[in-house]
Order: sequence, then structure tokens, then C-alpha cells
Amino acid sequence: MSVEFFLGIAILVIGTAAAAFPRPKTYLTRLINLEIPAWGLLLIMLSFDETLALLTFIAVTAISTFVIVRVVERRGAA
Amino acid sequence: MEEIYILGLLAVFLSIVIGFWALVKEEDDLHRILLTDLAEILALALIALVATDLAEALILPGLVVGISELMAISEVFLVREGLTRQPERMLHIEVMDSAPAILALALIGYGVLLSGFSGGAVAGIGVIFYFICKGHDERFAIFEVLSGYAWVMWIVAFFIFVLVPQYWFFGVLIAGAAILLKVAGKMSLVGTMRGGANV
Repeated sequence: MSVEFFLGIAILVIGTAAAAFPRPKTYLTRLINLEIPAWGLLLIMLSFDETLALLTFIAVTAISTFVIVRVVERRGAA
Repeated sequence: MEEIYILGLLAVFLSIVIGFWALVKEEDDLHRILLTDLAEILALALIALVATDLAEALILPGLVVGISELMAISEVFLVREGLTRQPERMLHIEVMDSAPAILALALIGYGVLLSGFSGGAVAGIGVIFYFICKGHDERFAIFEVLSGYAWVMWIVAFFIFVLVPQYWFFGVLIAGAAILLKVAGKMSLVGTMRGGANV
């Protein structure tokens, strides 16, 4: 099996641990750490040739990041 | 092949246990929302391991449900915490003045080339990015008009499939263009969520 698959699985597990227990524990740190398991998922999708899912996941992740940043922005202002 | 699949499944289940353990121990609500996003990524990884066209067919609706759920939860959170007023100081950096035009053009061009749902999402990102960075003064009634035309195109494509099936490729092209318009138009509304005129 391909290198991408094993790399993806490893990054997924490491990234999950990083996003679950971020240090220092701020919203922004956790948000940035969330990109790591997303990268793992992208590599897994790449290894199985799921092009359409991969492209849509990238697009939707950009939107969800925007939605979360908006909430964090308002939380910080209050 | 079989062992690989088992290995992947075990790793993903390990991640799910870690993620849900963090979710249980978490007390801050906004941190919980962020962890929900993590849970969504892990669920998608589980589906991606199916590794056939079925996986793609399952991931696309999963993504749509995920983003709409996230938007709904974040709105509920904002209303419940009473954070409805605008922040005085918003993030504004130099790259937000120079980048939008060319980046939006590239994303919309590539989205139109892709067509269909994914193309609509990519083109929508371009429009969102432009609206966030440059602001917006458009009247959004025009998006409703666009949405109506997209519906008409859907129905025309449906009739082509049913009445003249030999022209199926024409029908596919029309349906692909229609869903591009619909998804891109709706997603571009997200770009106005920071507030402004005519919303």
C-alpha cells in the first residue's frame, strides 16, 4: 500500500491528540491544531483517489474556519 | 489489503476515543464547538476508509450537513451568549487589500471549469474571500433571481433526461451548470456574515 496512506494515518492520530489537548489552551491554538488531522484526512483521501471528496473538503474547511473565526472574534470583543 | 484496512480502522477508532474523551472533559462551550469540528473530521476519515466511489458519494452530503450544522450551532451560541453586537476592531491586514481580486478570479475560474457541486464550492470560496476582504454593497435580491434561474435549468435538464434520453450529455451539462450557480450563490452569502449594508 502507498506511503500517503500510512503518513495520513499517522498525521491523523498525532493531529487528533494535538487538537484534543492543545497547549497553551486558547481558541486560536486549537483552531490551528485542527488543521493537522484535516491534513491527515486529505492524505488518506489522496491515497484512495477520492478527488471530488478531497476538493470539496478543502473548500468546506475554508468556510468552517471562517465561521469559527467569526465566533472567536465576537467572543474576544465582548 | 485486508490488514491495511484493519490497521486504518484501528487508528481512526483510537483517534475517535481521544477526541471524545477531550469532548467529555471540556467545560468551555466554544472549545466544545471546536471539538465538534474535530469529531466531524474523524467521522469523514472513517467514511474515507471505504475507499470506493461509495465513499465519495457519502462524504459529499456529510460535508454539507457538517457545515450547516456548524453554522447553526455558532449562531445559537452567539445569541445565547448575547454576543450580537459588532466588534469595534476587526482583523484587517495588508494582504486583505492586495490579494482578493486575483485570488477570487483564479478560484472562480477554476470553479467554473470544475462545474457541479465541487465547482460551486470552489467558486463560492472565491466570492466569500472577496466579500470578506473588500466589503460588499450589492443588493442580495439578485441572488434570489439567480437561484430561480438555477431551478428552471434543473427542471429543463430533468425533462431532457425523461423525454429525449439520447441527449443525456446536454442534460448533464445543464444540471452541472445549474448546481454551480446555486451552490456558489448560496455560499457567497456566508461572506456577508461579518455584517454590513443590505444584509
